[in-house]
Amino acid sequence: MKLSDLQKTFAEALVLPSSIADDAKWRSRGETAFTGNDRVTPIGQLDIYREQFWIRHVNCLREDFPVLLALVGDEKFEAIVRDYLDAFPPKKFQLRHLGENLADFLAKRDDELLADLARVEWAFIDAFDAPDAPPLDPATIGAIAEDDWPNARLVLHPSLQLLRLAFPTNRMRDAWWSDKEKRPIERVEREPTNVVVYRHKTMLLYTEVMEALPFEMLTLLASGKSLGVAGDELAASHPDRAGEIESSIGEWFTRWSALGWISRVVV
Amino acid sequence: MNFRERHRIPDLGIGVGFRPKHAKDVLEGGGSKDVGWYEIVSENYMVGGGRLMDNLQRLRDAYTVIPHGVCMSIGAVEKLDEDYLARLKTLVRAIDPPYFTDHVCFCKASGLDLHDLLPLPYTREAIEHVAPRIRHVQQTIEKPFALENVSSYLAYKSSEMTEWEFIAELAEKADCGILLDVNNVYVSAFNHGFDAEKFIDGIPAERVVQIHLAGHTDKGSYLLDTHSDHVKAEVWALYQRAIRRTGAVSTLIEWDEQIPTFDVLAKEAALARKHRDEAL
Repeated sequence: MKLSDLQKTFAEALVLPSSIADDAKWRSRGETAFTGNDRVTPIGQLDIYREQFWIRHVNCLREDFPVLLALVGDEKFEAIVRDYLDAFPPKKFQLRHLGENLADFLAKRDDELLADLARVEWAFIDAFDAPDAPPLDPATIGAIAEDDWPNARLVLHPSLQLLRLAFPTNRMRDAWWSDKEKRPIERVEREPTNVVVYRHKTMLLYTEVMEALPFEMLTLLASGKSLGVAGDELAASHPDRAGEIESSIGEWFTRWSALGWISRVVV
Repeated sequence: MNFRERHRIPDLGIGVGFRPKHAKDVLEGGGSKDVGWYEIVSENYMVGGGRLMDNLQRLRDAYTVIPHGVCMSIGAVEKLDEDYLARLKTLVRAIDPPYFTDHVCFCKASGLDLHDLLPLPYTREAIEHVAPRIRHVQQTIEKPFALENVSSYLAYKSSEMTEWEFIAELAEKADCGILLDVNNVYVSAFNHGFDAEKFIDGIPAERVVQIHLAGHTDKGSYLLDTHSDHVKAEVWALYQRAIRRTGAVSTLIEWDEQIPTFDVLAKEAALARKHRDEAL
């Protein structure tokens, strides 16, 4: 058998969800390609790799989504992630990316709570190893002329993850991680919540729950809009609160700078 | 001059795999006198920043660090991933190790990344396919490259030679180094019924830049390379045989599952030193 055919056989077999050791078609293919021995049949040899494929990937997702696992229990979690891996087989070399579509996968199954929980857990993974960026240099702020501020764009710290949640699943995550006894998690009720997950300069990860207005402003700025355009768009969306927005932008900027969320201001 | 002499491959003594769990012991607790160097899993450090990269910088400032890849997929029929190589090169430049390593295997097939060290058939076709890829990687990264023999759980009917003959011929043709994993030799020897000593004796000693040691798990009808336990007595014996052939080369203890405290790992490193000193 040629190298290319052998490798195709592996790709085909390893993603199969259950044992192929007793499958007649696979048994025949195994006898063509593999030697077997007095303890393991030819197809049994390939089945060892298939079994390890599932153990490795399910365990990886267990590690990345411990709160989701704690909420639904081991059996249901394994069923979910096996379906997920079937829909999104691994295509990136780093296992670190394995769960990147899980939240969207759960949302498509109309499980909003689980999707929001997965979203929060994934945000921590993305924030953990996002690129570093230096903190905002106050000297550069002082050098910006007043007339230039409306055109200024904020470069946010790469670790910043902006989450608009239907359920405050950040509370479930916080409760699980802070409970040394790891008691069962209580589900939260629906309550639209805006959360920022970020990495502090100490390398520790934090969450910040935000009011709607500053969160929308931050989202506009994160999309690359200038301070002036973002402020105008926000005011247009909330005409009854235009004055409040105008008077709050300075305060928000100061707060976000103090948290290390802004790394540069580009004029 | 042989491979090690040409590339001035140093003997680093005994090292262990650096795992996040031990970061505090190593970076703040002074590590252990029994551990002279550390190996990292390359792909875990191909990320933007954060604590992992900060720890790596601190580790690099204090010790020699060898990057050991698990995802290059040097034996795949698919094209080498040039983006992967660019990221590996960035990492290698940041660490500046004497060499870098990966495995004689494939990980990718049909567009999937299977995240396993899948064995190649020991054929001329495989050698002709893999050797130029090794040369390309070595030229791209601009550092000596060594490849490790993997544990395997199946054997191909199409194989035309033994695994050690395959590795020796491949290394010669590609002019690369060998990372001899003695535990993998033991595991594969049990799984396929060959003589592990013949494997050790058949590897070109002058190309061996490093030796790996680890524990494995007995699954009844086969041995599984789990890196989850102490090195077994039979593997220590094989290690002594190997190190007598190679002379003093860097040796690493791998422990990746049920990771013990750093003290336990350091004791295993001390045991490796004892076995090594006895053999040399």
